[in-house]
Amino acid sequence: MAEVKTQDFVAASGAAIEDATLQRALRQVGGGFNEARLEAIEEVSWEAWEQWREEARRIKVHALEHLDYYLELLYEQVTKAGGQVHFARDAAQANAIVAEIAQARGVKVATKSKSMVSEELDLNKTLESVGVDVFETDLGEYIIQLAEETPSHLVAPALHKTKEQVSELFHEKLGVPLTDDIEEMARVAREALRSRFLAADLGISGANFLVAETGTLVIITNEGNGRLCTSAPKIHIGITGMEKVIPSLQDLSIFLRLLPRSATGQRLTSYVSMVTGPRRNEDEDGPEEFHLVLVDNGRSRLLADPELREALYCIRCGACLNICPVYGKIGGHAYGWVYPGPIGAIVSPALVGLKDAKDLPHASSLCGACREVCPIKINIPRMLLHLRHRLAESPSDAENSSTLIERQAAKGYTWLMSNPAALSAASKVGRMVQKPFSSEGKVAKKVSLPLVSQWTAARDLPTLARRSFRQIWADELEGESETRG
Amino acid sequence: MVEKQNVKSLGIPKNDFLAHVRRSLGRSDRLDPSPPYHRLAEDLAVLEEHAAEIRRRLEDKRSHLLDQFAETARLRSWNLFRTTNAEDAVGYAVELARNHSISQIARSDQSVFSELPLDSALQSSGIECVTVLQDEASSRERLRSQIIESGLGMTGADYAVAETGSVVVVPRRGLSRLVSLVPPVHLAIVRIEDLVESLDDVFLLRRLEYYRNGEEMGSYLNFITGPSRTADIEMKLVVGVHGPKEVHLILLG
Repeated sequence: MAEVKTQDFVAASGAAIEDATLQRALRQVGGGFNEARLEAIEEVSWEAWEQWREEARRIKVHALEHLDYYLELLYEQVTKAGGQVHFARDAAQANAIVAEIAQARGVKVATKSKSMVSEELDLNKTLESVGVDVFETDLGEYIIQLAEETPSHLVAPALHKTKEQVSELFHEKLGVPLTDDIEEMARVAREALRSRFLAADLGISGANFLVAETGTLVIITNEGNGRLCTSAPKIHIGITGMEKVIPSLQDLSIFLRLLPRSATGQRLTSYVSMVTGPRRNEDEDGPEEFHLVLVDNGRSRLLADPELREALYCIRCGACLNICPVYGKIGGHAYGWVYPGPIGAIVSPALVGLKDAKDLPHASSLCGACREVCPIKINIPRMLLHLRHRLAESPSDAENSSTLIERQAAKGYTWLMSNPAALSAASKVGRMVQKPFSSEGKVAKKVSLPLVSQWTAARDLPTLARRSFRQIWADELEGESETRG
Repeated sequence: MVEKQNVKSLGIPKNDFLAHVRRSLGRSDRLDPSPPYHRLAEDLAVLEEHAAEIRRRLEDKRSHLLDQFAETARLRSWNLFRTTNAEDAVGYAVELARNHSISQIARSDQSVFSELPLDSALQSSGIECVTVLQDEASSRERLRSQIIESGLGMTGADYAVAETGSVVVVPRRGLSRLVSLVPPVHLAIVRIEDLVESLDDVFLLRRLEYYRNGEEMGSYLNFITGPSRTADIEMKLVVGVHGPKEVHLILLG
């Protein structure tokens, strides 16, 4: 499985904000994706859009409620079409399956089209360890593979890189001259990858959707690399999360309308490629073997939790990232794992363990924009709040969002606030103690207070007032309402 | 059908995996959707009926749909040429090859080409045309390198979709997936009777074929909607990455 750095969220997000190049890259993207999305929706009318969202959600609710049934149907149909289906409980098992297929057939070179699940599994590392040269072929993925980085966005993996950085990377790794022409950079990638496509014995793809009715794997791309990966090599392995299955081929139309518009504002991507089994005898080309690897890797934990199941409805369009004020400021890497942004803050804790991703559900202002833009109407803020609740109430010290001392302090505070005599006495003491440390009604910044120092780092702590409200009430206000009455 | 290859299923056994999914759903036994999912309950007769409705609608709206397709196709950066005349279509293709100084074309062997005096026109212009198929002796490797060397790939299409400006290709003999993808220029020739209104129409008609053919889907179903493109660097659009930079579409009929 891909390295988990979600524990470092606070430090990483702080560093991201200080990173001037990243901030420039994020600014360049700005609201571009979202503007395109809005334009695409207005073209079809908000009314139609709402209907599509409702229908897509209904399909996902149904498919996940009967996931066992549809996986079985998918299995039967893929098998009938001449394909092989393999089931993987976790990342290690999924990687082992792909490695075994590759090794058994002496695969030397593999090309890959973009797949977030393979990022989640860190599949490339496994393949390299068994002697397979793996080439990412999506331009963004190719860039980050050369840079030895991870994707920072679900749709545009190299979003965090400026064109200057890409040019320097190509110059260093491929020996081409520096350029500021993006078209030239794309040409360089095309040239570099063309020979790989033709040399590859194995093509690996993810899946945007799996159709149970016909046993079909659907991928949506713009560059054409997905089509090359799935049709040129002798073997095609599709690897994806088990939640991608939808019942009928006909259900696809609604998702093909929602996904590209939500992701990039396109009416449809340049290519939608649907694969059903290997090449048939009468076909002129295509892979001789087709394998489908279905991965659980923690998804069943989301499935089992009625509060979190809807996170599995996600179609990875990235719209919630593009609208999120937090993502817009810190980018994708700070989240510390493969799935960034608001939906990532729910999926990652489920897949890597909540105790290691405690900060992610807090990486949100709960403004609700993610829910508004989600094509499947996933209630992301509700789930973030739910995870916060769970963290706050967790009996496990490792998982609880506060320390034992903090929890004891909160208990003490609750007791104090519900005992007027004690509160009054404590206030008196407090007023005396605070005197040397305060000025202009605030506690001086240089005083580091236990427990609340993180809070006061960015805020002033007001001093206790000279007179409490209860005193003012008793001395001056009591009885006034009756007098006025 | 392909020969059954004897590769064992790897990873966890299917039944164990499904049992775990079931437990996660809070069930111990298989529970099929009841009533069955409406689309999966449609039998051949129902699909035939839907298909007949679609054909009637398409017939009624043909001229409107042609305009709609022309508009969406242009939005998706197709260079569109409409003609009723086979000679003009051939003329367009030859002109396109000449303009790009292309000496070799690869074309699929779809039925639309039997209506066009294309090969002779290309020949008289000195342009070599590689046809996918049908010489059994020609190896896949040789064909592949010929396609790669070609400056223009020409294909027919099984459907054109007014809603999206897409052409849809279904596998058949004499058709290589690479022809529409690898050469830098792609020319698709679509007959107006293959125009449908929406994605729903395509999927319904494909489902009908699927059930008619004893649940055989064919190995692929490809939608092509304009040229290859990317915006992976700073969100700037670049046309022509791994697929064609320039795409043309002749609407014939």
